[in-house]
Amino acid sequence: MSIKFLEPTDFSTAIALLDQHADDSKVIAGGTSVVLMLQQRLIAPNVLISLGRIPGHDDIRQEEDGLHIGALTKLRDIERSDVVKKFCPALAHTFNVVGNVRIRNQATLGGNLSAADYAADPPAMLTALDARAQIIGPGAKREIPLSEFFLGFYTTALKPNEILAEIIIPALPPSTRAAYHKYTSISAEGRPCVAVGAVADFDDDGKCSDLRIAVGAAVETPQRVREAEAMAHGSTLTDELIAVIAEEYSLKIDPLTDVRGTAWYRKEMIRVFVRRVLEEVRGDR
Amino acid sequence: MVIGESVPMLDSLARVTGAVGYMINLRLPNMLFGKIVRSQSPHAKLLNVDVTNAMQVPGVVAILTGEDLGANAFYGVAIKDQGIVAVDRVRYVGEPIAAIAAESLSAAEEAALLIDIEYKDLPSVFDAQEATQDGAPVLHEKFANNVFKHAKLRHGDMDAAFAEADEIFEDTFTSPVAQQASLEPHVSAAQWDGEHLTIWTASQAPFMVQKSLVEIFGIKPDAVRVIVPPLGGGYGGKGHIRIEPLVAALARKTNGRPVKFVLSRAEEFVTVTKHAASITLKTGVKRDGTFTARQVTIYWNGGAYADASPLLVPAGMVRSVGPYRIPAVHVDSYGVYTNLPPAGAYRGAMSSQTTWAYESQMDIIARKMGWDPLEFRMKNLFVSGEHFATGEELHDVHFMECLEASAKALKSTLPKKEGKHGRGYGVMMKSTVATSKSQARLKLMDDGSVTLYTSTVEMGQGGHTTMAQIIAETLGAPLSAIKVIGPDTAITPFDSTTSASRSTSMMGNAVIAACGSMKEKLLELGAPLLEAPPDELRTENGFVVANEISISFGNVLKRNNLETLEEAGEYSTSLGIDPETGQGIATPHWHQGAGAAEVAVDTETGRVTILRYSAASFAGRVVNPHMAQLQNDGNVIFGLGPTLMEEIIFDGGQATNPNLADYAIPSIRDIPAELISVCIESDKGEMHGIGEMTLPPVAPAVANAIEDAVGVRIKDLPITAEKVLRALKEKSGR
Amino acid sequence: MILKVNGSRYEVQEGTRTLLEVLRDDLNLVGAKEGCGIGMCGACTVLVDGKPVSGCLTLAAQVAGKEIFTVEGLVEDGKLHPIQQAFIDERAFQCAYCTPGFILSAFALLEENPNPSEDEIREYLSGNLCRCGSYQNIMKAVVEAGARLNKR
Repeated sequence: MSIKFLEPTDFSTAIALLDQHADDSKVIAGGTSVVLMLQQRLIAPNVLISLGRIPGHDDIRQEEDGLHIGALTKLRDIERSDVVKKFCPALAHTFNVVGNVRIRNQATLGGNLSAADYAADPPAMLTALDARAQIIGPGAKREIPLSEFFLGFYTTALKPNEILAEIIIPALPPSTRAAYHKYTSISAEGRPCVAVGAVADFDDDGKCSDLRIAVGAAVETPQRVREAEAMAHGSTLTDELIAVIAEEYSLKIDPLTDVRGTAWYRKEMIRVFVRRVLEEVRGDR
Repeated sequence: MVIGESVPMLDSLARVTGAVGYMINLRLPNMLFGKIVRSQSPHAKLLNVDVTNAMQVPGVVAILTGEDLGANAFYGVAIKDQGIVAVDRVRYVGEPIAAIAAESLSAAEEAALLIDIEYKDLPSVFDAQEATQDGAPVLHEKFANNVFKHAKLRHGDMDAAFAEADEIFEDTFTSPVAQQASLEPHVSAAQWDGEHLTIWTASQAPFMVQKSLVEIFGIKPDAVRVIVPPLGGGYGGKGHIRIEPLVAALARKTNGRPVKFVLSRAEEFVTVTKHAASITLKTGVKRDGTFTARQVTIYWNGGAYADASPLLVPAGMVRSVGPYRIPAVHVDSYGVYTNLPPAGAYRGAMSSQTTWAYESQMDIIARKMGWDPLEFRMKNLFVSGEHFATGEELHDVHFMECLEASAKALKSTLPKKEGKHGRGYGVMMKSTVATSKSQARLKLMDDGSVTLYTSTVEMGQGGHTTMAQIIAETLGAPLSAIKVIGPDTAITPFDSTTSASRSTSMMGNAVIAACGSMKEKLLELGAPLLEAPPDELRTENGFVVANEISISFGNVLKRNNLETLEEAGEYSTSLGIDPETGQGIATPHWHQGAGAAEVAVDTETGRVTILRYSAASFAGRVVNPHMAQLQNDGNVIFGLGPTLMEEIIFDGGQATNPNLADYAIPSIRDIPAELISVCIESDKGEMHGIGEMTLPPVAPAVANAIEDAVGVRIKDLPITAEKVLRALKEKSGR
Repeated sequence: MILKVNGSRYEVQEGTRTLLEVLRDDLNLVGAKEGCGIGMCGACTVLVDGKPVSGCLTLAAQVAGKEIFTVEGLVEDGKLHPIQQAFIDERAFQCAYCTPGFILSAFALLEENPNPSEDEIREYLSGNLCRCGSYQNIMKAVVEAGARLNKR
């Protein structure tokens, strides 16, 4: 009856164990998602492969190509990291609003993303930041954009014998501004009804040179509307332009219905929060 | 003076060290673990329940199914319609079909997966009003239109009264199914010793549990012992009878081994709920701002079994009229069966739903007629000596003071925050239990220690501390010498229930009576020792005192060769209303409360922020100001749940959000930045409970404040951001 | 495997049970309690290496060898911790089912940030739910406890 708890001390052993136990195993990192599934009997593996004793992979490094965050980094460490705050305050803020302190103390970045829970905060912001996922498997490491990592509800591009190892966020020019808005529609403690992350770059005369907006929590996987983003290129983010972009996001995204809001309401909220997030990156808030 | 002092709860030490002996901690020698197998169908015939495979699971000791049950398979507070486990038929998703006792919880859980159940689905109905229509599926053949209770109040000539009205308002207000959600779930354990049953249970009503088990098992009252430790919250959800019959019936099959059940959070949502209600108020008013008539029609969704509803539906009737002078009143209060989990009391029982209706309509009327909502209320609120729609005279009436005290806190102007601001008010009038009894037993030892035996359940309200304070003052004993023994039907005397904010008044009076007798005895016994007649003696701080000399209680006993001195006290009320007309006396006294809310509405999202809230309840005389404040505050915060967020969402009778992530309850970040609560006292100094008074006004006060802020009226709880936004869009025609 | 709880070492079997189950069932440390089972309510809060986590979402095996701290560890030489005393003085509980969780969260907060603002307290404690609604007094207790600890 009792589940085997394996504790490899490096990623390659973890991958080998995963290969060996194939369908019968589950990778566990912080545990907030896996233990919950175990308790609710949503999964019944015979083997748990814990990443908890693997040293390293829980660091945050600013490198030339951008910010590297190890998959085993606790959410709370990302939220409190001076490196992250310096790199992108909105990113630190995004992790600050996940769940509660206890969840953030336990949950890891890799676990959070690999669970692919749509009602989460980090995916939208990281998608807007054009983050890439570094994946380790039996062969060579591979790297894919986060936008290709999330495939659907609780589904990722990870193969059964692969583990998310690191997230790389491309360097941001100093002229970049970013913002993240989590909107909870019920209790302040709820999960997001709508999550919007945005990153904008501006040229010397204040015109927008680059804009990426990702909407999460209202949809299966974070979504960008590239035509809408493109409208900003070379233009000043006026109220009118922001309204047009927000409207376009609201029109193009087909949100889901759950306890936190109907599709109709979420369409409305996408418009409101895309606008608010853009007002923030413009410097209003 | 100990009454009026904010002494800490007697067991504060245990409360901050995690040492309170809640049911969930109970471990008995040889204890088995229980698990319930529940219906997946909202309404079906049970064709077959096969436990063969489940019985093979190692560690499984016994399984209870409908087949095991004899003639007394059914129970209920007033209508015995509910099977201990389902017999032949299930009527809601989550209804117990089988119960397993095993050596470990995991064995019981494994066995639960192996019980084969064959259903033949029947048509189902979930809405109370639909259930009363011709052709609706019938849940219990005895009640052809699913109405198991129709309570009526008839006061005055309605046609004539409505004819006098200048304007008639008709509005329907709804409340959804919600859940009490105490953090401690329902937990019960049972053990048989021959024909003697001991049951440990997290219950607000030990003697109701006892009575029910006596009836079910056909044994003598003293053969059932019910023990209730402190509860981790009750809020009505642990009132009446819950899982105790099932636990006891299963324990009967385990050869004397005890079985303990701890319900999961998901099971909580199908064990007891708050009645969904649809309340239609037709109210006639005159241009001079007075009422002529009110017609109330209520459909209470009782769920699949009547449970406590036959008592609650009439209570809801008298609680639906409101604290205003209305010459003619008719109420029809229907308790209806549907294929949802059974409903029971929810803090501020039935008043939470009815106050939502009548206080919302007050503002609708005031706005339409161009009156100030506060003044309109003040003009019509009852005062002492007036008569309620039941015909009874009202005494010690303080609605106006409650409302004034609440409103006063909003007088200052708040700095403008984002969104539109608005203010709103609510007042409520609630009955307590009309006929009930409390007994107290007091024991003095020759070391001067005083023990109170009481069946008042300590569930966080501080009931035991309150009683100790009453003893300290009435008997003249030091608080430190007083110990309170809580419910154990083998040793503590009778009490009807710990609910409806009745304990401070009812048990308080029983304790006062016991103290009175004991004091009298002490003075008699002390008189010869102090060489003074009893009427020249008094008690103080554990001593019998004459002018110059005194003697301790302990020494009074010793000098009289007594080891102990025991006295009992009782307080009861026997009131009621006529079932056909609702005329009579509905309650020993009326609970009175009010609230004032200031909100900000984000007009783009519809999200409502409660900026500040002020609440007042009438307490008569406050026993413990700090605990009173906690109850008042707690009511407001609890009340914000059903106001803004709480609703069990069903899909085909299946609860889709039975967890505390998708069914949100208020967190520390959901409460107003400023929350003030006060108790109103009166010269008469009667002590009343205040466990609910400031809760029911919350929802209408907030809805009224929203209309004040943005001009939209929400009539369906909870007031979600989405509903507000929808209403704003409809109003602006977009 | 070995669990280190409140400074003592315990040999524990079946590490794939939750930490909460092991604490309660094996070690008879019952201050932490299950409320929601999904990490929302905080009634099962315990500290692991000084940080609050949900006992219901942690497997015992995950924290083997780490420093686990429960409410039972707060009382030293029979004396209440200043946070516990502040909870009594400010009447910061009713049914008290949630209280150990709040006290441990407050303990971790004040270790991390001895002078938290009210907003910081609210933010830190927001994952602990109190159905009785004692939040206002809990706020007061944490502020008061912080002041007392700073005076020590």
